[in-house]
Amino acid sequence: MDSFILIAPLLVLLAVFILYPVLANIYLSFFKWKGMGHATFIGFDNYVTMVNDPTFWVSIKNTLVLLLYIPLGAILPIMVSSILREGLKGWPVFRAIIYLPNILGYVIIGMIFSIVLRKIGPLNGGLTAIGLGAFALDWLNKPNLAIQALGVVYGVWMRLGFGCIFFLAAMSGIDESLYDAAKIDGALWWRTFWNVTIPSIRFSIEFWIVLSFIEILARAFPFIYTFTRGGPGFATFTLEYGIYNSGFVAFNMGYASTWASVLFVLCAVIAYFQVQLMRKNANA
Amino acid sequence: MYVFLILLAVIALYPLLFVMMTSLKSTSEYINNKLMLPHKITFANYYYVWVKANMLKYFINSCILIPCALLAYLFVCISAGFAFGRLRFPFRFEIFLGVLFLMIFPQMLLSIQIFQVVRNMHLVNNYLGLILVWVAYFAPFGTYIMTTYYSTVPMEIIESARIDGASIWQMLLHIMVPIAKPMIVVIVIIGFQSMWNELPFSLLLLQTESLRTITQGIGMMQGQYGLDDTILTAAIISASIVPLILFMFFQKEITMGAYGGSVKG
Repeated sequence: MDSFILIAPLLVLLAVFILYPVLANIYLSFFKWKGMGHATFIGFDNYVTMVNDPTFWVSIKNTLVLLLYIPLGAILPIMVSSILREGLKGWPVFRAIIYLPNILGYVIIGMIFSIVLRKIGPLNGGLTAIGLGAFALDWLNKPNLAIQALGVVYGVWMRLGFGCIFFLAAMSGIDESLYDAAKIDGALWWRTFWNVTIPSIRFSIEFWIVLSFIEILARAFPFIYTFTRGGPGFATFTLEYGIYNSGFVAFNMGYASTWASVLFVLCAVIAYFQVQLMRKNANA
Repeated sequence: MYVFLILLAVIALYPLLFVMMTSLKSTSEYINNKLMLPHKITFANYYYVWVKANMLKYFINSCILIPCALLAYLFVCISAGFAFGRLRFPFRFEIFLGVLFLMIFPQMLLSIQIFQVVRNMHLVNNYLGLILVWVAYFAPFGTYIMTTYYSTVPMEIIESARIDGASIWQMLLHIMVPIAKPMIVVIVIIGFQSMWNELPFSLLLLQTESLRTITQGIGMMQGQYGLDDTILTAAIISASIVPLILFMFFQKEITMGAYGGSVKG
């Protein structure tokens, strides 16, 4: 009985502000509703509108492009961590520096890079100064460049620091004798990395990949909001941004819920994998 | 090897240094000197941000709102973490997995309905509404950390308290809170960072200009047409200063929490 009193505050809040919104959202996706007044039941009309909406497919395509950055976003911190594992001097300072982006948060980092990548901004200024003026592109105003810039900054740069700390902690659990054995065998750095390090942190890598999916599908909104506002045009739209746009800019709440339902299904699948992994971790 | 690491550090640090330098330049200097240190330092941008753009008000708002939200968040996380981690009750594991499952949903997915719920409670433009939503959204993660911590506490401590005839709240306050102090510091910091940097919910629930949080204030500032980059960078630094100072003092806890939250060490 006591136990239920202790978990009651959490469960009540979750029921009201998370569980109910998720379910009511699916219900609302079958209605036409402007946010006020009467909601009209229209069956699957919103879903039909959605599959005929080019913006929807652009958002899906953009999300897929961002997902392609997951391998790089994993490999880079793994490599850096395996270098740092061997105990370099000055590690605490380095760790603090690369972790900084996480301290500042999505809104600030998005804003910083919206300035850094301007056509007449510091990146292009720097490139021109070292004679690479040909590469000084208008990063955020060309649709194809903007989505790649989002992938690099959000998918790779922003997550590097956390990745290093994450993988280093995972590597600290590896039995040192495995490395000694590899050394005696005369294995090269690369082979040791491949045969000892990677298999030993397999679980953490799986976990990292699930986290990356979550970051891209479910956490990117505040970043995109200050980075590009979804633009130019719809070039950096994602499902999340579409919900914001239909729901709170155009006040098409019913239609926004349709997009949200798609996002719900994707998130539920990822959450399933995440919970499975956490379960494995708890039992291990 | 060092060259590679230094290169990475520069890539990580330079954007922030650039922002810092730019915020101290005048607009005319920025046009001609984008990359280097300012020749002449000016605080005009900060004056604009803090006084004219109302940042001081937003800063104070955040400083009032967040401690209140953190108290509620701590209460929820500690009591639920204690129950999940150390007590035995029916469906404990299933309910816990359910809580973890709810952690994933993006703010935008929830936002349409959250807005309706809060509106029906007449709590739009009221800090209480935002506090409830924040705690609901951020508490599962804090609960997860507290649960993993409490599950490592030896059972004897609880049993001995039981025999003394202490009620569950006395036990929580006199035994479970003191022994978990290091972890409480970790979740307070995680909670603080999440709330300080939070944008979507505050955007939605605080529509009156005078109620805005600092992050919301600078997020909206960027949308205004014609503000100079020098002013925007001053706004960025102004909003970052508190998290940065916190990071200097609690570096160990912050990096530890970042990892401890995701995988058991």
